[in-house]
Amino acid sequence: MLVGTSVAGYSSELPAETSGVAPVEAVSQPDSLSLASYDLGELVVTGTRVPKLLKDTPVQTRLITSAQISRSDATDIQDLLQQEMPGLEFTYAMNQQTHLNFNGQGGQSVLFLVDGERLAGETMDDVDFSRLDMNNVDRIEIVKGAASALYGSNAGGGVVNIITRRASRPWAIAGSARIARHNEQRYTLSVTNRGSWIENVLSANRSSIDNYDVHSAPNPVTRVVSTIYGNEVWNFRDRLSVTPVKSLRITGRAGYFFRQLRRVDDSPERYRDFSAGLKAEWDISKDHRLEVAYSFDQYDKSTYYKISHLDVRNYSNVQNSVRALYTWWTGEKGTFMAGADFMRDYMRNDRLAVGSRSQLSADAFMQYDWTISPQWELVGALRYDYFSDGHDSHVTPKISARYSPRYDLTLRLSYGMGFRAPTLKEKYYQFDMAGIWIVNGNPLLKPESSHNVSLSAEYTHGHYNVTVSGYYNNIRNRITTGVPYYRPDGDTQLYLDYVNLDHYSVLGAEVALQGRWNNGLSARITYAYTDEHTGRGKDGNFVASQYIPARKHSLTARGDWDKKFSDKYSLRVSINGRALSGISNVEYRDYYDLSAGTVSVKYPPYTLWKLSVSQLFIGRIRLTLALDNLFNYRPKYYYLNCPLTDGINFQAGFSFDIP
Amino acid sequence: MIATLAALQSCNGIMDGIYDDPPAAPATTVDGQLYIDASDWAEWHYIDFPALARAVNDDPEFNTSSLWSTYPVPVEGEGSADGKWGIYTYWYDVFGVGISVNEFRDYRPTPAQPEPEEWTIAVHRNNVRTNGCKAAATEFNNIDDLPADAEYLESLHYEEDAWNETDVWVVQERMLQGVIGNQGIDANPVLSSWLKVEIPPMPPAFTLNDRVFVLRLPDGTYGALQLADYQSPKGLKCCLTINYRYPL
Repeated sequence: MLVGTSVAGYSSELPAETSGVAPVEAVSQPDSLSLASYDLGELVVTGTRVPKLLKDTPVQTRLITSAQISRSDATDIQDLLQQEMPGLEFTYAMNQQTHLNFNGQGGQSVLFLVDGERLAGETMDDVDFSRLDMNNVDRIEIVKGAASALYGSNAGGGVVNIITRRASRPWAIAGSARIARHNEQRYTLSVTNRGSWIENVLSANRSSIDNYDVHSAPNPVTRVVSTIYGNEVWNFRDRLSVTPVKSLRITGRAGYFFRQLRRVDDSPERYRDFSAGLKAEWDISKDHRLEVAYSFDQYDKSTYYKISHLDVRNYSNVQNSVRALYTWWTGEKGTFMAGADFMRDYMRNDRLAVGSRSQLSADAFMQYDWTISPQWELVGALRYDYFSDGHDSHVTPKISARYSPRYDLTLRLSYGMGFRAPTLKEKYYQFDMAGIWIVNGNPLLKPESSHNVSLSAEYTHGHYNVTVSGYYNNIRNRITTGVPYYRPDGDTQLYLDYVNLDHYSVLGAEVALQGRWNNGLSARITYAYTDEHTGRGKDGNFVASQYIPARKHSLTARGDWDKKFSDKYSLRVSINGRALSGISNVEYRDYYDLSAGTVSVKYPPYTLWKLSVSQLFIGRIRLTLALDNLFNYRPKYYYLNCPLTDGINFQAGFSFDIP
Repeated sequence: MIATLAALQSCNGIMDGIYDDPPAAPATTVDGQLYIDASDWAEWHYIDFPALARAVNDDPEFNTSSLWSTYPVPVEGEGSADGKWGIYTYWYDVFGVGISVNEFRDYRPTPAQPEPEEWTIAVHRNNVRTNGCKAAATEFNNIDDLPADAEYLESLHYEEDAWNETDVWVVQERMLQGVIGNQGIDANPVLSSWLKVEIPPMPPAFTLNDRVFVLRLPDGTYGALQLADYQSPKGLKCCLTINYRYPL
């Protein structure tokens, strides 16, 4: 049986048997209006891989709904997460490759999924965030902390699951356009159809922005950026579902992504992704469900030589995977789930010593969700992972508990292990970086593992919702690049090897306050504290990183006022912003003379705000005007890790939704 | 399921056809074009156009890319008698502000640059020097469009080589920091403008200027040059494909 919610012509359907999972309609609490106001009556799936109401899930989950995505006017996941999540910052490597810092965890330790499927490809250990456009996204579920017991490698710091929309109307067309400074343009189009047994969702997205120059004050203390590189992105997705019998749904999907970056005008860099999948969801009986899926994802990088008209590929990562997932609602109080994955990971890279590598990985996992009483719920999970290259294997447990002493108060406690196997790149890379140093893979790398504990309390009453949470994450054998060194034979070439760090830990806390009133006003403010203890090498030596650690204090806030003047006209005024504290990072004074020691580089605090006014005409046409970077913040020095903005930005957008 | 697993084992991706395989570097070039791998930081490559013209005249299929010679840039050893030759170290792109901002850091004397007895021009990455020639830029982008009449050729604005100690980058070791050792040497500013190098980004960005340049040799003859490409088929920078015509 499928239950779900409906948003603007679409529905987000989740497989959920009535056994063990209370349907939305069954929620009847004294404060059920409040539950709806704070999305607590929404179904989420990422924390336990079984649909559960947000208010009931034992694994603390942050839900960003389609309404919040619409209000944010974000182009891609990077835009959105920075607006919604404190403790999260995107920083940049030397050539502006994007790197995520999410509560002290890098992009390699936060697993990004689209409809539950992994993404191939990486740059500087992060997925290509521009692949994840916000067109046709129904909701995003974010689980912080270790989730490797359900998702395996790379989920040691959390999971971000982007769930796309399904069609709910016989047909619908939606589109949008937005323009802004630096010739920034964004266009989206979605066409959906739904019949009695067939459904199709087609979406297309194009966005682009020019390169532009920024200027720093004299005498910076470290390297600054002087040109911000723009992008040109195309993204197409189609998903076709058929329901030949009521209990069986078969879904096929295909996608194509293209991005071009003009760092050098006559040889632009190109990034492509081809994705496809086939999934069968079979409700065997009222209490048993089986899902079998095949997924293909290929991420390529190439350089287009304009003069010779050659498009030469230098990187390809191809992931083929099959998965089976079985769920058994054992009665009123229990849900058993078991699954297994098999994946072939192939990498072709000019910088691999032998040109290409591949490895097989397999895993099996199980979970039991025990609703002891309306107040108590316990979920335990165990997973075994195996990787053929190096025969790495790992057993990962997780246990989570929910205690709801009152209808308006929920306490959650979770312990889980995180795990990340070294990638083929980290093991076998061999890259001469313009003669500066040679980056060396390390076949002897050990898998990362971590212990994560988190605790949270959520209180909802009347117009208000308060959530307080804390976590501690202790990581062993974190994989990173180490200290540049000369080999002892008198060689003058510098080398930079991938290494395992000894210990690395993060302690953090978060407080979120929400209010929503009957006069159309709503507000949310979230503060995050993150204390990252940077690790040292196995030899005890300091390991410098080009990325700054997490900022200790960060805050996001938003306020909205919605007013419906008539059936034909309504108005929304929104303001949202973020503020991050300054931070100092210890870096080498001179990478070529390590005896010169280190220097503390101060990265200043900053705050960015956006004001938008959105008008909705006849319920279908929306006009949005916005001022981004409202207070015209410009970094004094455009250090690598500064926000890439050169001042206030006027944006104008238009969208329609038919019928 | 087993069939699927077996199929996965062999799947290394799709859509190979949309990409190009880099062709091997052109092994031979005929009259009108040269291919020189000038990517090494520590080498000058010398071309003798009169000798090239004689070789092509004798054999129209002569491999024009076989007739150039390479001499190393001296970076160590006794300084020259005039005390001018040497490595001039500058700090460029001070913390990313741009290549035009630079500071002198150091001078180290070296022997004079060795060179062959007969040569017309020499290339080193993006740099060009001449053997007593002068060069002028034209408004043309195709050698075939260039008027070869004397009146036109004499009307152009020619420049001779000039002393340079900031553009001929020969010591790469501290490039990440923008600290680069240059060879102090005469170079031709007009011909060297056929390939512009910018920092940032790092590694540097190259911009090709495909104008046709006219070269006036000391004997009064003229030649034409155009940089057609600066990358090898595999993307290595400063592998120069040069269109030429000599004599005009």
